[in-house]
Amino acid sequence: MAKQLLIDAYRGKRTASPPWVPYAGVHCAFLINEPADKMLKDPKLLAKGVVNAAKRYKADGIPLVFDLSVEANSVGCELKWWGDNVPSVTTHPCSNKTPADAGLKLPTKESGRWPVLYEAAKIAKPQLDDLDCVLMGLFCGPLTLASHLAGVRIFTDLYKNPDFAHEVIKFAGEVGAIAAGFYAEMGSEIIAIVDPVASQIKSETFQEFVTPNSQPAIKVIHDAGKTSSFFICGDCTKVMEDVCKIGTHGFAIDEQLNMNFVRDLARKHEVGFGGNLKLTLALSLGLLSPREDAIVSLAAGGHIGYTFAPG
Amino acid sequence: MATKEELLELLKDGVINYKEEQVKEAAQTAVDDGHPALEMIMDGLAAGMEVVGDLYERHEYFVPEVLMCADALYLGLDILRPHVPKSDSGAVAQVVIGSIQGDVHDIGKNLVKMMFDVAGWEVHDLGRDVPLENFVKEQLRTDAEVVAMSAMMTTTMLGMKKVIQMIKEKNPNVAIMLGGAPVTQDVANLFGADGYAESAGNAVQEGIKMIGRLREYEKKKAD
Repeated sequence: MAKQLLIDAYRGKRTASPPWVPYAGVHCAFLINEPADKMLKDPKLLAKGVVNAAKRYKADGIPLVFDLSVEANSVGCELKWWGDNVPSVTTHPCSNKTPADAGLKLPTKESGRWPVLYEAAKIAKPQLDDLDCVLMGLFCGPLTLASHLAGVRIFTDLYKNPDFAHEVIKFAGEVGAIAAGFYAEMGSEIIAIVDPVASQIKSETFQEFVTPNSQPAIKVIHDAGKTSSFFICGDCTKVMEDVCKIGTHGFAIDEQLNMNFVRDLARKHEVGFGGNLKLTLALSLGLLSPREDAIVSLAAGGHIGYTFAPG
Repeated sequence: MATKEELLELLKDGVINYKEEQVKEAAQTAVDDGHPALEMIMDGLAAGMEVVGDLYERHEYFVPEVLMCADALYLGLDILRPHVPKSDSGAVAQVVIGSIQGDVHDIGKNLVKMMFDVAGWEVHDLGRDVPLENFVKEQLRTDAEVVAMSAMMTTTMLGMKKVIQMIKEKNPNVAIMLGGAPVTQDVANLFGADGYAESAGNAVQEGIKMIGRLREYEKKKAD
């Protein structure tokens, strides 16, 4: 396990070997024979699950949680909990109101589930330090959080009601900046904006709504001297240039992208990149050989700025 | 007075370019002038949506554009559907549709639902985050020929296998279609499904593609 190796790769630097991040998420609960909801609500169990997964998988870094409902919940969205999954966001306070009209307030350390995360980080961080493993902080990106706040309408409001969309996404970006600050305070060395649905819009829309509303969080991360990344899911080919230019040290993608394309783009922009192990076909269902899939990813990723990780 | 061809073009163009007023006006004119409503739906609205599917596949359109096209299509459908003669509008079949338990993502599911609506199927939409046993109950209640399930996440996708087993135990003749980002032909085969979202990427694309296939089916039926 090697923190510096991971930080270097995330910053696009050459590494002796690619570092490894399992992004275990609620799989951490499965590994300690606990339901996901119980682990996520209990700081001791959460810390136990994360540290156990880091040890078991010899991780160079591991997120405290991979759960995009935290930020939405911290500003008032209700959740439905699951024993085998992350919680679902069930209410959308901005479905017919702006954040201001809905009375939404920016979160504090006491809002929603943040106290649980702070407590868990306090327990897990020294243990991860002993393992030379990075504690990563992942938070919900502006467009995905806006979709939690306003529901599906946010996608058509980008065109039909751009003023409303700007207001919701701006608020989401401010919430993200606060989340980034929380993770910096918890001691996360790498902090990432996770905006899966940002792959579902065109480049111009990304530049208008996602790029500017990611800047407050990126500033917070960089001002704290931490390493930044932007995670995106799905076939995001058309916005990959925008992702590279967003201002983070690197990015992460999933199994739907061509790794050679991603590697070349990352090197062109001198940013770090990671992901692409086939989570569904290889790791979950075993329809592909996880070993062969790993070899393909490692061969394509190379030694410059690449982090070996599931997509 | 606009000709039938002009109206079809207005409907098609209105869907492609998400011109809601144009679609409404053309649909109303078609009704007022006595043009066949089903033809207006299939060769105007649905034909437009087929082009939208191509634009989506070529990454010229994205989710927001497709949703706006769908909004325009539904405005036309609301006007035209009541004027489809009963002999034409007899439900082709029934489908039970929903996003699987734990999954609140329903954009793709709603577009697939739209496809079934356009084609005149009787749609039983269970919504999103649907408990697994509800798919079975609804299929038994309605005797639907098709059950269509959508999942956006790898974790929720695993519930589809349980639903398929439960349904096939009760009624092996039901056709089960899977869709959503993590689903592939291999996954569908592994789970014992009858159909899948071929693109593996998402149900939006597959849903729109299926409109084309259904149009062909409707045409064959008419011939």
